[in-house]
Amino acid sequence: MAVLDQLIELTADGVVYSSIIVLGSIGLSLIYSIAGFANFAHGDTMTVGAYSTLVFFGILGGTSISVLGLPLSFFLALLSGIAVTAVVALVTERFVYKPLDIGSIGLLITSIGVAFVYRALIQIQFSADSRRYDIDRLRPIEWLLQYNIRMTEHDIAIIASAIVLVVGLHLLLQHTDLGRKMRATADNPSLARASGIRVRRIELWTWIIGAGLAGAGGAFLGLFNQLVPRMGFNLLLVIFAAVILGGIGSVYGAMLGAFLIGMVVQLTPILTSIGIPIGSEYARALAFLIMVVVLLVRPQGIAGEAVGGGG
Amino acid sequence: MSDASDATGGKADTTEQQGGESAGQQGNESAGQQGGESAGQQGNESAGEQATIPDDAVLELESVDSGYGEVQVLYDLTMHLRGEEIICLIGPNGAGKSTVLKTAFGMLTPWTGSVRYHGEDIGGMAPEDIVRKGIGYVPQTENVFGSLTIDENLRMGGTARDDDLGPILEQLYDRFPLLQDKRREKARNLSGGQRQVLALARALVMEPDVLLIDEPSAGLAPNTADEVFADVRTVNDMDTAIMMVEQNAVKGLEISDRGYVLDQGTVRFEDQADDLLDNDEVVELYLGG
Repeated sequence: MAVLDQLIELTADGVVYSSIIVLGSIGLSLIYSIAGFANFAHGDTMTVGAYSTLVFFGILGGTSISVLGLPLSFFLALLSGIAVTAVVALVTERFVYKPLDIGSIGLLITSIGVAFVYRALIQIQFSADSRRYDIDRLRPIEWLLQYNIRMTEHDIAIIASAIVLVVGLHLLLQHTDLGRKMRATADNPSLARASGIRVRRIELWTWIIGAGLAGAGGAFLGLFNQLVPRMGFNLLLVIFAAVILGGIGSVYGAMLGAFLIGMVVQLTPILTSIGIPIGSEYARALAFLIMVVVLLVRPQGIAGEAVGGGG
Repeated sequence: MSDASDATGGKADTTEQQGGESAGQQGNESAGQQGGESAGQQGNESAGEQATIPDDAVLELESVDSGYGEVQVLYDLTMHLRGEEIICLIGPNGAGKSTVLKTAFGMLTPWTGSVRYHGEDIGGMAPEDIVRKGIGYVPQTENVFGSLTIDENLRMGGTARDDDLGPILEQLYDRFPLLQDKRREKARNLSGGQRQVLALARALVMEPDVLLIDEPSAGLAPNTADEVFADVRTVNDMDTAIMMVEQNAVKGLEISDRGYVLDQGTVRFEDQADDLLDNDEVVELYLGG
């Protein structure tokens, strides 16, 4: 029975953690599919979102009205933080990635440098010490405790926000003109141009959306844990694993991969409880092991297209 | 259709139609002279003199050098397309046939010479702008959005249209019923021939005046290729002029009004399609006769 209790508790944590990983993975996948390189600055882009939100929340202060234990001003700060993150990504794209004509490997390495710059600037401004949003920590929700689910209203807010953003992105991709053009451009940029799509505009929108979601993920990560300059970078490998597991360039694959990887990472402690001597310090190793096994069976990832099978 | 172009093209043809050995020389020389003379002038007058570029040409490439990066593929190439005609570019692999289309469509910028559409220089203009002028392009491979549905593919083709896409889509679905049946399916699930039809239809959403088609029969079984050629013919009947590259030279010429034989990046022969098919030298060198 103790194992079951632990399972429920870890699952609850896993869903919250996965929500954050999902937000990070979508952006990485979107940007990969349009810009054509693995953006190693994506984790630190999340950090930018977390700290921007911190700054705006500091300016706005708390409000008496709150939703799910979060002052309304926090949501306002979150939106502002998302906007700043998008702008930072756009500026980086315009003045660093775009002018460089060095291929995908060159851009990948450049993005590692960009990651260092983001992190260093944040550290200069905010120091390496951990920070918190000035919001009272909450006790787990009472009525959920009777089912052994330890979840705060903040956790619910993170999950709900992630669902809203994911559903919103889905509607955008499937039912709007911009979304169709984003998919068309990711699928075949040269045919997109031949069809009259202004590909540059689509690229910029993709950066805005990808970085915006990462910014939201970062802010939620700060709420879930705390803010440190390495917070996003620490997640980067897990996010890469999620994107690769889901199928590189597939947004829906990234969502699924992120959810799976997030759950695996959070559920690992259960193994010790059922007698398998793999401690939680191996959580990430286990996540990567699962990724490798899946890729051995299905090299294109869960939702990816078989190589050469695309149009 | 072919009657009209015969009538208007009569003057141009007589100079070219020497037959036998001299046809090759003639073609070469006139292309060369054309390039030399017109370099300093504006194209249309000199074209009149030479009868190489007639006044009713909608698309003209004049003395074009072009290529990829440092590698030159086209050398002093001059050719034209009149309204309402189909021309076919044939020639061995590496002759530069696809490069002609890419240069005309702005995917490559001409190094020298000019590309004109209704007299306007469009050389090096971006493809997304050229589409808006009224030129469509169907690439040889990867010519549909595999992860999009048929309907979405066609909608993408209409990106540059300001009006409601409904009527033109219905018209295209009527013309190509197999697309209608599969409009909600992903394009990657289509067979090779169906893909080619979709690729054609995607370009037609703009109702272009000129359509550039790269190897419509590539990789298709003979029957399917014939169907695609028939579709190309139908498109032409909708008042769209077509410049087509085709590896299957005989079939390509059979549905065309005129033809150009390219070799090593320049025009070797240009003539009425029927006459090219009857030209012993062309047959021997380029049609595997």
